Order: sequence, then C-alpha cells, then structure tokens
Amino acid sequence: MNNTSADAPRSAAGPGGTGSPDPRVHSRENLRAASGPASGRSSGRPSRGSSGRRRWTSADLSLIAVFAALTAVFSVLPGVPLGAGVPITLQTLAVMLTGMLLGPWRGAAAVGLFLLAGLAGLPVFSGFSGGLGVLAGPSVGYLLSFPVAAAVAGLLSGLVLRRPRRARAVLLFAAALATSFIVVHPAGIAGLMLNAHLSFPAALAADMAFWPGDVIKNVFASVVAVSVFKAFPSMATPGRGSR
Amino acid sequence: MRRAAGSADLLGAYRPGNSWLHAAPLGLKAGALVVLSAAVLVLRSPAVVAAAAVLVLTAYATAHLLRESWRPLRSMWPVLLLLGAFQWWASGWEAALLVPGNIALCVAAARLLTLTTAPQVLMDGLVSLARPLRQLGADPERFGLTLALMLRSIPFLLGSARDVRESAMARGLERNPRALTVPVAIRALTVPVAIRAVAYARQTGDALAARGIGERI
Repeated sequence: MNNTSADAPRSAAGPGGTGSPDPRVHSRENLRAASGPASGRSSGRPSRGSSGRRRWTSADLSLIAVFAALTAVFSVLPGVPLGAGVPITLQTLAVMLTGMLLGPWRGAAAVGLFLLAGLAGLPVFSGFSGGLGVLAGPSVGYLLSFPVAAAVAGLLSGLVLRRPRRARAVLLFAAALATSFIVVHPAGIAGLMLNAHLSFPAALAADMAFWPGDVIKNVFASVVAVSVFKAFPSMATPGRGSR
Repeated sequence: MRRAAGSADLLGAYRPGNSWLHAAPLGLKAGALVVLSAAVLVLRSPAVVAAAAVLVLTAYATAHLLRESWRPLRSMWPVLLLLGAFQWWASGWEAALLVPGNIALCVAAARLLTLTTAPQVLMDGLVSLARPLRQLGADPERFGLTLALMLRSIPFLLGSARDVRESAMARGLERNPRALTVPVAIRALTVPVAIRAVAYARQTGDALAARGIGERI
C-alpha cells in the first residue's frame, strides 16, 4: 500500500492528502481530535491502520493484544491429529485470521507480539514450549515469517474487502493461500535449510508435508473471517477502501 | 506429548529456587545464552558441542534442575530422530550427531533461562528491550500495556475455547459419523472463539478508553 497519505486520515484530508506537504500532520491532528474524551465511540471503532506512522488508540492496542493471545491459544490447543503423527495446530489459521481481521499493520503487530512473547520464554509456540531455543529449531523460518504473513494477508484481504461482497470467502481464501505460498513456505524452507541443514529438494519435500493441512486451514481462516465480518460489520469497513 | 493446555501451563516452565542461576541478572543469563548458541551454531564442531553440552549440564546441575535437562527431548525426539536419520543418509554420521545435537543443546540452554527466571521478570526484560528504541518512536509504556493485556487475555480465551469445545461435545459433534466431521469440528470450534475474542477486545478497548489508559498524551 503505497498511497498511505490518501488512506490515513478518517475525515477531511481524504483525497486531498496527496497535495498537502506533510500528510502525516493531518492524520495525527485528526486522531488527536478523534481520541478526545468526548468521542469515546469513535476511539472504540476499529480504524483499520493504513499508515504505520499513525498512533494506535487504546481500541487498537486491545485488538492487537487479544489477537496475539488468540494466536497463542490456537498454537497450544491440541490440534487436529493428521496422519504420520504430526498434530496440526491451528497456529497458521490464527496468523492469517489476524491479518485479515486487523489489517496489515495491526495484524503484523499482533503476531509480532505473540512471537516476542514466545521468544522471551512464554510457552506459546506449538511443539516446543517457547524461549529462544526455537531460533535453533527447524521450524524457525515458519515462525519468523508469521508477522510478515499477517501483514501480507492484511494487505491482500484489504483489496478483497474493497470489492462488492460477492464471493468474499473465496477471494479471502485466495488471499490467504497466496500469502502462504509467497511468504510462509519459502521462509519455512529457508529455515529448514539453515537449521536442519537440509538440501533444497529435501527441505521442499519436508515443507510439502504441510501443504494439505495448510490449504484446509486457509479455507477455515477465510470462513472464520467472513463470520466475524458478519458479526462485526465495522471490522470490514472503516479506513479500508474509504478513498 | 503436551499436557492438555491449561492456564497454569502458560505460566511457563519456571521452577522457583535460590541457586546462583536463579539469582543471576536476566541480562547476564540472556547474553550467555546468545553467545553459547551462536558459538555452537557457527563453529559446528563436535568438540565445541561436547564442551557446550558439559557446560549446560553443569549449569543444570548447579541449579538443582538436572532432572529437567532432558525434558525438551520428550516432545522433540521424533523430529530429531528423523533429522538425524536423514543427515546420516545424506552426509554421514558426523552430521547425524551434530545437527540434532546442536538443536537439542540450544533448546536445553534456552529452557534453562525460562526455568530459572520468573515470567514477570522475563516480560519486564522484554519491555526494557524496547527502551533504547524510544528514539525511533517506540513507546515502552504502551508496549508493556499491550503485553500485559495479551497475557491477561490468554486465560480468558483458553476458557472460551474450552467452553465452546464442551458445548460442541454436548451437541454430539465429535461423534458425528459424517465424513466431513473434521472440517465441521474446526469450524464449530473456531468461529465462536474468534467472535468472542473480537467482542472481548472491544470491551477492553472501551474500558481502557473510558479510563484514558493507553491513549497518547
């Protein structure tokens, strides 16, 4: 998203933002006005972060915190047992869901917070319990790619949500699947090659074991996202597509 | 296999004690861990790994935690075994010992940090890492607030997931004979949890905003 200046402000400086010398000033002023005590409703409204520079409101922070926690919970809950004794957790489902629901910036922040808490020693990763040890483990590429994946899923789903509502679940699924194969799997393969010292074909073969589960999880990430957008329509609207 | 995840599990592996490792400052322990792991991973020689293993085991022993040292292996051994077998086939016995050994050693060393440091101290350490970034626009206070909110939300979400699972079982979902049982189950378990999570986040956000917490000053 390179047109941050046109997206950032919620009100006045919409399309005109491109003409102003420093659009960031506009958006910050708007936010200061919006987060005053008199307009509690507006700060409770999730404003889809479209500019990384914008300060987050307490509503944003709480969404980030809760979705970091949700990613942790989906990671440690006993997963769906798949063949070959590899229990598939819902971790990547939570990562994609977080990106789709919170948008690129807040989504990346939420998943990044989850990652930091896990690296600091909170046992929130699936399989291994957490701590800096995972950096030496074979799954490090997947883990480190998650914040980027949430950001990319947020960007792509932002494009989907601008369109009319038709076939939204299918398009969101396509966005999640594209994210998986652009971000998560290449990073995972790199991690396998680096830490497990596998050759590229071997790493690719190991990675392919996750493909079926991943496709299924992406289907469900989009199904869950559509349900949440139905329950909270405002999650799909403000700040996104409001050019 | 993991135990069924309860909120007690998520408090981490901390074992209270009064050894020198428990008393050592977090920064020192984390620094030593980083140096040790980097040395093992970069040098990649059996002698270094053996020396580091002796060092780590000594640290476990002097912290009176020797019984904990093999515990990560309990969940990791299938992966390590597979990896060792592949490396043996692909590049000989040295790699077959070295690659899984490195991983096990680094995980064990990192676990020692978690074992001997209270979770609160770990999280405070994480927040203090953000302090030097203040110049770049980071806000350690808001970071700490968000981290605390996350930790507080985990028990709620675990409870919510358990409730949803129990009500699904009460509806007979897990005994559903249809072929689509797994997808149906995933959906029935995830959608309510996600919706409750958003509702919870909004309540918390409203409560914070009403008290003026976390807003910029």
